[in-house]
This record gives sequence, structure tokens and C-alpha cells, in this order.
Amino acid sequence: MAKEGILHLSYQERRRLARGLIFVSPWLLGLLLLGAYPLISSIYYSLHRYDLMRPAVFIGLSNYTELFTTDPTFKQALVNTFCYVGIGVPVSIISAFLAATLLNTKMLGRPVFRAIFYFPAIVPATVSATVWSFLLNPQYGAINATLRAFKLPIVPFLTSPTYAMPSVISIAWVWGCGYTMVLFLATLQDVPRELYEAATVDGAGAWHKYWNVTIPMCTPVILFNLVTGLIYGFQDFTFLRLLTNGGPGNATEVFSLELFKNAFEYLRMGKACAMAWVMFIIVVILTVLLFKSSARVVYYADTN
Amino acid sequence: MSEKQLSRRKFLSLCGLAATGAALAACAPSPQPTAAATEAAPAATTEATAVVAATPTVAAAVAPKGGATLRYWDGWSGAAETNAWDAITATDEFKEALGDNQFERKENSGGDEALTTAVAGGDPPDTASNFQYLDFMARSMCLPLQDYVNASSVVKQADFFEESWKEGFYKGTQFGIPCYEGFFAFGLFYNGALVEKAGLDPDKPPVTWSEALDWCKKLTVFDSAGNPTTIGLSPYTTEGAGPWTSDGWMVPTSWGWDWFDETTGKFDLNNDKMIDSLNTLKQFVQFIGPDKVAAFYNVSGHDSWGGAMAAGIEVASIQGYWIAGMMAATAPDISKNCKASWLPVPDSRKGVRVQGQRGHLFTIFKGAQNPDLAFKLCEVLQSKPALDAYFKAEGFLPSRPAYVTSVDTSAAPGLDFYVQSIKDTTEWHRPLACEITTYVYDQYTALYDQVNRGTMDAKEAAAELQKRCETEYKNQGFAS
Repeated sequence: MAKEGILHLSYQERRRLARGLIFVSPWLLGLLLLGAYPLISSIYYSLHRYDLMRPAVFIGLSNYTELFTTDPTFKQALVNTFCYVGIGVPVSIISAFLAATLLNTKMLGRPVFRAIFYFPAIVPATVSATVWSFLLNPQYGAINATLRAFKLPIVPFLTSPTYAMPSVISIAWVWGCGYTMVLFLATLQDVPRELYEAATVDGAGAWHKYWNVTIPMCTPVILFNLVTGLIYGFQDFTFLRLLTNGGPGNATEVFSLELFKNAFEYLRMGKACAMAWVMFIIVVILTVLLFKSSARVVYYADTN
Repeated sequence: MSEKQLSRRKFLSLCGLAATGAALAACAPSPQPTAAATEAAPAATTEATAVVAATPTVAAAVAPKGGATLRYWDGWSGAAETNAWDAITATDEFKEALGDNQFERKENSGGDEALTTAVAGGDPPDTASNFQYLDFMARSMCLPLQDYVNASSVVKQADFFEESWKEGFYKGTQFGIPCYEGFFAFGLFYNGALVEKAGLDPDKPPVTWSEALDWCKKLTVFDSAGNPTTIGLSPYTTEGAGPWTSDGWMVPTSWGWDWFDETTGKFDLNNDKMIDSLNTLKQFVQFIGPDKVAAFYNVSGHDSWGGAMAAGIEVASIQGYWIAGMMAATAPDISKNCKASWLPVPDSRKGVRVQGQRGHLFTIFKGAQNPDLAFKLCEVLQSKPALDAYFKAEGFLPSRPAYVTSVDTSAAPGLDFYVQSIKDTTEWHRPLACEITTYVYDQYTALYDQVNRGTMDAKEAAAELQKRCETEYKNQGFAS
């Protein structure tokens, strides 16, 4: 048997390989320049003191130790981020699943309702944030204007530490729910009918079918949405930046905002790179934990 | 198929090669224009007319070679700013200075982040305005201007307010020249008609913080549900609410201390004056309610720069001289009743009349394509026609005593106080050159918010502010 390896390819095979590489070269170049190079640079700069203007100065792991020792807002940002993700992602998934379940039933005007539920997801996040900031504005927002008309105290949705985080989570949930719902809808329609028929034969009611057939068959997509929700939740920046910018009183100061401030406002690019890697490690750990814990509850049709 | 025929596979391969080559060629950097003279060659000035106080004329310098494009990123925006620049670029002084070159003005909506990226990327504009000048000066991203100044017959130190002139220096090197707008930072600007309506005497404004608090309580109006509909005075929407490079910091100015030593790099934020200021100013928030105050100002443009006052929902605001012109231009009905008086001081300093000299700077970035041409622009901006254009369009005044005292203040009620304060001020302050001003601002804001909400003691907040700033200063590599 001939040894494998590029050197042992025939002339024709090498030419075919070269042609293939030429065709994918633009993508490869993009990956290297826009993916690999920034990635490696960020590791490099995370070990330096770098402000984009002066030459980088090597400081070892000082940026990392600063995060966990002297940084006054890092811990608060971490707590806020876990809160944002820990509440926002499950709420989003549960509500999207329930909505998909409803939209999977036969009813009049089903396409219209599906469009209504999905519509917020196609509005750009910045537009959505701007509209919500108007709606929730204490002075002229529609919601508070209604409260004022009924002689009730206004609710400072985005300006009170108590209400700010729930408000932002709600807004992000409304915006992102549609996309998750569509994925669940596709999965629900893929559940084999014979499973429902078999359950009916066995005497299962609607709830038992839902709990024992529908949900287990959707667990792979639930896991997918959990993982992607976790990743995007940790990276979420737009709504928080536009609605509260981390305030009031650091109540909505999350990881991504803190990273942005360090990078572009305080000119601490080295520290920001370190923060990015800490976030990456946290997300990887949580993702691995999710996958490991899902082995018992996620049902894959092609496995025993 | 014979070897000499072009097969479909071969054709596709060649197309792929051509496309890749075109893509690579498109990604190649464009050839840079030849660099202009370096910082060692200041603009030559010949036959300079005698510079007399507020009416400098642009020296009849040799026009630089044509074909260059002077790039200016304007940190202000809006119709008034555009009108000002339309007037400036129409002046003979500007045309003479520009010669056969082009001028490109771009409104910098990206702020400091866009400017930082451009400078770090090696393609900065020649000059820019309204940004954190010190951030760039301290990181050696601006050209030293001393040689330009020495050779110029237009830019003379004696023509500027002393403290404003000093603002352009960092560690003994001059990187900036007072330009665009400057003059004074602090005055209690108020709507006399609303004051009178509340039963107070508009000709006897408060001079201490306790008097100001009393005024505030009487001027603040609530609706039946307890929501404020008009606020008397907020010390947090003032100019210099926190330290700012071109504005100074209201609290140390009022309480009378230097919060940073530029020579030693030491902070003085944990002291009795800071603690007293936190305890004093929180009273303005707590009698209304921190959430209600935050909600009240949560309208774009209302939380700073006199926007709430121009909207008629705030009676008084501590702002710089420019508010008089801004109010006259945007809210003439309110402006006609406006007056101004001294920045309130603690009761223990009653009688001290404080004022802050401040202003924006003209700087030239390292890597600028046209530094000589950029300096000519600076000289043009010191000329009377340019100063007049800015004052007429924006109400901006320069840091030049002779010009300031020559303007007609009647068109902007309240402006006369600021002009008069040139003579009557007993204690002067200016923005201090701290390299981490933005960080100090953010931390101060976060901490006073906690004090206002009662979640942190003022003493604790002052100590925490001192600690955070010292640590950050060291971590940024500025501590010696």
C-alpha cells in the first residue's frame, strides 16, 4: 500500500489539490488575517501593557492578576453577566419553546402569528434598543405616560438599579425570542407522528405526549439553543451599551461593557485582551459542563 | 480533447487565479503621498503685522505647495458648527493660508474611539477638535509645537489667559495651543423669571451651597404623583461634573484644592473637602429621590450642557460662559430672562469668588501629512474674522482676554457676568493634566451615585476613589 502524504500524491492529484487550495485561498486568507492573527495578537497583548499608541511593554500575567485582585468593577461585572445570562437564557428558551408549541397547532391565521412573533428578530438590535429607550423613557415614554395619566408614580425602568437589569433582560428576550422560536418550530414539525400515535394507543393524554414525546425529541435543539444562548449572552453588548451603558450605579455593568471601556475609554488594550481570554475560558468551561450534563437528558434518535 | 484546447476545468482554474490576484491587489495599501516637512521645520512667517491683543492678523506667510489636503476632524457637529466653518473658510485669511491646497472637514461622530483608531492605525487627520487632548499628548501622539510658536507672529502667549495657555503643556512640552473655544468654565446660570415666580429674588442668587440647596428646594416642582416636573438645580449636570481635560472639575474648584499634582503624579482625592462635597451635593438628589432624578434627566441632551434648562424644565445650571450664547440661539424666550452669578462655594469659603480657565486646544498629530499647513490653520483660527465667525454662529469665545472684553454681551444675557469675572475673580483654577482623567471621571461618577443612593458612606467613597485612581495610574505605567 502506498504511503499517504502530500509528497506521495501523483502529479494529477497534486494539481487537483493545488487548484482546490487556490479556490479556498481567499477564505483561508480571511481566516488567517481576520481570525488567527487577531487571536494570536490578543494573547500577546494580554501579557503586555498596551494603549494602542505607545509600544507594548511586557508585564507577564499582571493584567490577569489585576482582574481578580485590584479591579474594582470586574467582580461586579462578572456577577451581572452571570445574572444576565442565567436569567435571560432560560427565560428565552422556555418562552420560545412554549410559543413554538402554540404556533405548531392548527389555528386560523397561524402564518400571521408566526410572523408577529418572529418580527422583532429581524429588526436591527440598535433600532430595537432605540425604540425601547423611547418607550421606557420616564419623561415621554408611552408606558410612563400612561402611568402618569392615571396619577401613578412613574417606573424608572432603565434608571433605577432595581429595575434596570430586568428591563434590559426583557428587551433582549423580546428581540431574541423569535429566532429561537423558529428553530423550535422546525424541530417540532420534525417529531415523527408515529410516536404520537403510539403514545395515543398506550393511552397517553395531551400532557403526557408533550412531556414524554415532544420535549425529549426536541432536547438536541434545546441544548443547541442553550449553548448558543450562553455564548451570545456573554458577548452581548448592543442593548446594554445603548440602553444603560452599565448604569445606573454599575447595576448593568457586564463583562462586554467593561471590556469595551478598558479597551477604548481607558486605553488599556492589554487588560481588555486579558478580559477577552478570561471570558473565553469561562464560556468554554460552561459549555463543556453543559455538554457533559446533557448526556443524560438529551435524546438523540440515532443512539440507543 | 487536445492539450492545446482550453478545457472547462482549466478555464475555471484560471478564473480562480485571476480573482485571487485581483483580491490581493485590491487589499494592497494605496501609495501614500510624500510626507510634508517634519516637525523640525516650523511654518515661516514673513512681514507679520504687529499683533495687537484681540485682533491678530494671519501673517503673510509663503503658501505651501498645492495639492495637499488638510484633514480636520471636527468634534462638534450640527448646523451652527457648519455655519461657523462655512464663514471661516470664506475668509481671506483662510484662503490665503490654504493656498492651492484642499481642506477637508469631517464631523467626527465616532468620537475619541474613532480618533484613537486612526492615530493608532497610522493614518490620523492632521488635526482634530473636542477630544481628550491629554490622552494623546501624554502618549506622545501629538507633535511638539514650541518651534512653530516661536516662529509665529500670530500665536503669542501674552494674548491668552495664562492658565489656558498652560493647559497645552504636558511635562514641560507644548503640544496644544488654546483654540476653537475657551474662556471660563463656571457660573451659576439661571432663569430669572422662574426664580421670581417661585418667590425668590433673582438679583440675590445663592453664593454658598447651603443657599443653593435652599433655592433648589423652592424651585423644584412636583406633580401630584410625586414626579419632578421642574428641577431647581442639579450639581451633576454641570460643566465639569467630573474631571474633564478641557473643562476642569467643578468640585475641587468650588471647594478650593488641587486634586492631582502634575509634578509628582500624586492624587489628593481622599480628603475632608472631597468628603464634604459628596455629603453636600447628595442633598440635591436625596430630597427628590435618586431614581426620580435619574429618570428626570434620562432624555437625550437633557443630562448635560444645559439641555434641560433650554427645554424649560431646569431653572438653574452650573455651566461655562458658552451657555449664554447657546441659550440665546436655541431658546431665546428663556434666554431673555437669564442671569449668571458665581459658582457656589462651601459655607466656610463664603466670599471667595472662584473661576476656572479652560478651553480646547489645537494639536497636530504625529504622522499628520501636513503639519505646516495645519499650523497655518491654527493661526487662521486666531484671527478676528474666525473668532467672530465662531462667536456669531456658536456663541463660542476664545481664551483671549482682549477679544473677550471687546464682544457685545447684550445679545447673550448672562454673558456679562463671565466677562466681568475676569476682574472680580479671587481664586483661579484650571484643568489638571492627569493622564487618566477619563478613568477618574468614571469612578467618581460611580461612587457619588452610590453615596447619593445611600449605599456607600462619603468617607468610604473618597478613600475608594483615591485607591482606585492610584492603582490605575500605576497600572497604566504613569506612576514613577
